[in-house]
Amino acid sequence: MIIFIILPILSWSVVAANLNVANLNGLKAQFQTAIKSFSDIASLHYTLAGIKELGVQLPDSYCDNINKLVDKLNVESIYHATEASKTLVNCKLPVEDYRATLTAVLQSEDSKTAELYFAVRSSVILGITVDESKIEKRLNLLAKTDDSVVSQGYALLTGAQLSQTIAKSYADTINDLVQQADEIDGSILQYEGGIGATALIFNAFYEVAEKAGVPVKIDSKQLIKFATYFSSKRHVATLRSAYYLTKIFKHLSDNKNQVPVVVSRISPSAISPQNPSVLVSVTNILGQPVGEMSVVAESAKRKEDGVVVISKQKLISKASDFSVYELPFYDTKIPRGFYTIHLTLTARNEGKLIGLTDNMVYRDNTAQAKTYKLSYPNGQTDKLELDYHQKLTIKFQIKDKQSDEFVRVQQAFLRFTNKKSNKEIIYLAEPSDGANSQYKVEVDLITNANDFRHQSDTYELVLILGDSLLQTAYEWKLNNNVQLTFHEESLADKNHQKLYLPRPEIIHQFREDEKRPHNVVSLVFSALTALPLLVLLILWLKIGFNLSGLPLGLSPLGFHISHAAVFALMFFYWKCLNMFQTMRYLALVCIPLFLFGHRVLATLAARRAKKV
Amino acid sequence: MSQLGQVVGILRKLNEEYQISTPKKLKLIDAYLIYVLLTGIIQFAYCLLVGTFPFNSFLSGFISTVGCFILAASLRIQLNKANQSTFNVTPERAFADFVFAHIILHLVVINFIG
Repeated sequence: MIIFIILPILSWSVVAANLNVANLNGLKAQFQTAIKSFSDIASLHYTLAGIKELGVQLPDSYCDNINKLVDKLNVESIYHATEASKTLVNCKLPVEDYRATLTAVLQSEDSKTAELYFAVRSSVILGITVDESKIEKRLNLLAKTDDSVVSQGYALLTGAQLSQTIAKSYADTINDLVQQADEIDGSILQYEGGIGATALIFNAFYEVAEKAGVPVKIDSKQLIKFATYFSSKRHVATLRSAYYLTKIFKHLSDNKNQVPVVVSRISPSAISPQNPSVLVSVTNILGQPVGEMSVVAESAKRKEDGVVVISKQKLISKASDFSVYELPFYDTKIPRGFYTIHLTLTARNEGKLIGLTDNMVYRDNTAQAKTYKLSYPNGQTDKLELDYHQKLTIKFQIKDKQSDEFVRVQQAFLRFTNKKSNKEIIYLAEPSDGANSQYKVEVDLITNANDFRHQSDTYELVLILGDSLLQTAYEWKLNNNVQLTFHEESLADKNHQKLYLPRPEIIHQFREDEKRPHNVVSLVFSALTALPLLVLLILWLKIGFNLSGLPLGLSPLGFHISHAAVFALMFFYWKCLNMFQTMRYLALVCIPLFLFGHRVLATLAARRAKKV
Repeated sequence: MSQLGQVVGILRKLNEEYQISTPKKLKLIDAYLIYVLLTGIIQFAYCLLVGTFPFNSFLSGFISTVGCFILAASLRIQLNKANQSTFNVTPERAFADFVFAHIILHLVVINFIG
């Protein structure tokens, strides 16, 4: 049996929304593994408290573990012990044992903010009274010396243990602390120190605000960024982070605070006739419903060219708790492409729901593939139209009739024949590895367009199979009328005949002489050059040439002759001599020149001296 | 127009001064300088008009005029009595240098003229 599929390329891509539902199951599993064995009091605290937050009540037997692991002299250990005991129903701790350590820490000038918090919280749980004004003074002092965000977080937590007025003054500083968070990529806010520090501080906001009786004053955009950070942590390494994360998720879904809404796609990524709608879930960060909403798809824009196909369409509520909404999307009128859907949500009830507008839900649809099944020897009779968006994929398997297993052949080709020019374009079918040897040919009309020389024409599609073990080769005409349309202009076929004819002859071209001016021009200019000589003579005559002063005699004569000889030598040098000969002659002539010249000049000098 | 008149007046005065105060020898050399300059200008004009072929000939001719100009100018400087303090050479020595330098210049020029 041979199966044949055509897949036009689709491209509706996906990106999930930034805010995800929390991975509560992961956290629960983490606590449940931890509860099997404890190594220290801190893990005991976090595990017990974490599990309690998730709604599981633990038996009092853990009280013994607490008493065994606690270190009475360490304030942090005491803190963990007291917190752990608080999660159990009936676990009384020996207060007197701890009083000494706690008082010491409370009195000491050297305690850090964290230690102070541990001491105060433990005292509150155990029922020991604390001097609130003293604590407040200490906190103020510490705020000046230690301004790290974690210290500020602990300060808030301590404030939450004191009176309401003090808590309120700390609640007012929440916004300052929020401003100190680091923004990453414009979508996440976190504190230095990673998930542990951020979770502790964020939790502190809620605790102190709750004690103060005021709502947490955070700008909703910043809250969303924090929420994005927390929801992105699918797994945390430490129990401490897990515990704080659980508390935070509970705070973020508590209706008396601002509640970020999580919108995510729950239908599969492909839009096809089998999955015609986009299904969207609207919940809080724990995955619980948030009440009735009006969800409207403002627009669905295609990514490549911005064509808007849907505008202001209301989504239909599918679930009774108003957590799932549907948008019918599949329509033959909607062309294929990448789509971005912008949703706007409006709450029906009063509620502090944030993060409602401008949720972008991207969709990925790789379906809408047209599949045709053919069986040998029937071909497809309908016209098949493909354009440059699409890709043709042919998959087939060859089965041996007698042994019923899938075989491979030596030759498996797919041939396109241009019906007009009879040009053939052949592709090789590659088998997949493994037992089922499925052959596949993919022809993408954009990347393979050059093979076809961009000629948009009608083609015939034939599958050729051959092997030395096959008695007769198969030539299966799959479709006689395949219309391919390419994006660019068609190119002419390469004429291969021309390669074998004689090439044009190359004639050697000598270097052409440079253009020279006409002879006359040169002569004229040569004459012109002689002109200034006349000017010189005239000028000299005008000034008064002292010809009479010329000394006569052998020496002057000799001087003038040798001088003229030098010029004559120059002339000959230009005409026929080379440098070496000239140098020799020059040397010869220079000797008399010097002699006579010297004598003449001496005579002239003497004459001058006499005159003076 | 008055500016032009001023310039003309200045030039005339300059000329008068020149005629009076310059000795004959220097005037002769000045005439020679003018001659050399004219020759150079004509050569350059030819090159601009007709083109630089053959370039080496043009260069050698032009450099010859420039060299002659410089040598004559230096001779003039050395002969000028006003410069006696700076150059302590006799006129004969200056002239001998002039001739010697010219020989070398002409050798190079002829070599280059091709």
